[in-house]
Amino acid sequence: MKLKYSLITRRTFLNTLFGGWLFAFFSGAFYTLMKFAFPTLGKEPDFVVLDRKDFSDIPNNSVKPFAWGGALGLYFKKEDGSVAALKGVCTHMECNVAYKPEEKKFYCACHQGWFDETGRNIAGPPPKPLEVFDVTEDGDKLIIARKGVKVELPKA
Amino acid sequence: MKQPFLIWAKSRLINIPRIFIAAAAWTVCLPLCAARATEKIAVFPNAAYDACIIYQNLAIFWFFIIGLIVIIGMKLKEIDRIQKLGIDRDDENAPRLD
Amino acid sequence: MSYPRLKNWLDERYDLTDVKKFAKSKLIPEHRYDLLYYTGGITLFLFVLQFITGMLLAMYYVPHIDHAYESIIEIVTKINLGWFFRSLHHWGAQLTILFLFIHLFGTLLVKAYRKPREMVWITGFILLIISIFFGLSGYLLLWDERAFAAVRVATGGAGALPVFGGFIKAFLRGGMDVTGDTIVRFYAFHVSILPLLSLLMIGLHVLLVQYHGVSVPRSEIKDPQPTVPFFPNVFYKDMIIWLIVLGVVVTLAVLAPPEIGIKADPLAPPPANIKPEWYFLMVLETLKLFPGTIFGLNGETIAIICVVVGISFLFLIPFFDRKANRGEESTVFTVIAVIYVVYFVVMTAVGFLS
Ligand code: FES
Repeated sequence: MKLKYSLITRRTFLNTLFGGWLFAFFSGAFYTLMKFAFPTLGKEPDFVVLDRKDFSDIPNNSVKPFAWGGALGLYFKKEDGSVAALKGVCTHMECNVAYKPEEKKFYCACHQGWFDETGRNIAGPPPKPLEVFDVTEDGDKLIIARKGVKVELPKA
Repeated sequence: MKQPFLIWAKSRLINIPRIFIAAAAWTVCLPLCAARATEKIAVFPNAAYDACIIYQNLAIFWFFIIGLIVIIGMKLKEIDRIQKLGIDRDDENAPRLD
Repeated sequence: MSYPRLKNWLDERYDLTDVKKFAKSKLIPEHRYDLLYYTGGITLFLFVLQFITGMLLAMYYVPHIDHAYESIIEIVTKINLGWFFRSLHHWGAQLTILFLFIHLFGTLLVKAYRKPREMVWITGFILLIISIFFGLSGYLLLWDERAFAAVRVATGGAGALPVFGGFIKAFLRGGMDVTGDTIVRFYAFHVSILPLLSLLMIGLHVLLVQYHGVSVPRSEIKDPQPTVPFFPNVFYKDMIIWLIVLGVVVTLAVLAPPEIGIKADPLAPPPANIKPEWYFLMVLETLKLFPGTIFGLNGETIAIICVVVGISFLFLIPFFDRKANRGEESTVFTVIAVIYVVYFVVMTAVGFLS
């Protein structure tokens, strides 16, 4: 009797475990496939071109927003007058960040995330630094580009 | 801290013979290449945070694979046992219900 | 796990008893070399993987000279998980070819091609050629300078064949040189012609294997032959091996994503020390063995003829190996098989290291 019982339960147990595991495995694989197949929404631009004179005379230790595709970009002039550009979107849950001139830090109000002047995440929940862009000046144009992207301006 | 390990892992997996060739080739053609060196295209998400998540997922993936293999192994054992007992075959002469 | 309702539904409409009986009664012989049986299953699995990843990549790739390279960069840098699936497709292709060769050489060494399975060998060989062509056409689609140079060399090599060479070359290139037309053409090969052909061939190959049953090496034939049922024993083992292969491909894809070079420029010199894909190295090294001219004839042409003859002989080997067909020991062909394998391995290694 004992043999018969153990046989059946073990078999059904194994089959259920196998089926469930297989199901989980395939769901994971399917999710991954679909993530790739589904169009990537909100693709970002490689670079944006801005008017230089709008941005050249902002005071030191302040930021000026610009449109980075559909998201917020921040043109940032540091205390010492050097400039940088970052994506103003928090890496935690995509709230817009604000610059706090008194502390010289970027602050995300959603869950109290902090980033330092270079965009590094220093406190709060954000898992990774803000994205920093390359800034180049070209005549009266200001070109802000993703790092490592070759800028090819459309002709004329 | 993570970086040296990664390089090691990569090289162990595929690149052992190539390292020497690559090193030799580099010393020879570095001056040549320098002229036309451009930024490498990132074929892998290079933010440390993203890379970390990817390696984590890889580990989870392997966990699932090994789990499946273990379960299949158990199933195979079970099948073997049943086949030894000889109760996997339908009895041709068994009286039918209908 | 049983679903009586579904089972009833099916039973009322289809008579599945034959299928079940077939699955239960299909027996796989057991012997020293039975691991070789799994190499075919592995390639089949990898083919399926290539089909899936390929279909997805085709959603983003643009086969046009101005956009091909850019669209791949977009896949790799912007599309969700794009880098991963490109890498997976790349490594899947490498492993497919690797296991095709292992499968081929394994079959060759145990002489599984002998009567009555000649057609299994032939269809398998055609599948190998299709796959290599898959590799070549897929490689060009990247349109970076290495791909460009490699395809130029490969199609140029075909051009050195006597009589038909020029035709083949122009047909493959879609013109006199490798241009934007070649991309479109290779795209058509890669995503439509070759997949359909390979599906047909795989179907035929698998059907023939079912029809003949798997072969047992002569030295392992016993009476009675020890066997295991295909379902469930071998099937589950197949599954384990597939899982391991999947794990290996994914790991390779994550740890070693293939690089993308500089965009192809037909006017620029080819990049320093380029190499074709590893499965072409053997041919390349063979070509190097021949001097420029032999008895006043073009050495290259002779070399390519030799390669073609060598491959054709391997292709038709079941028809030459009379003794094996009669079920006798045929040592000569064992030696020939070993020579083929050793030559392939050595030449590939030489090409890889030089
Ligand atoms: S969204 Fe910025 S901290 Fe949560």
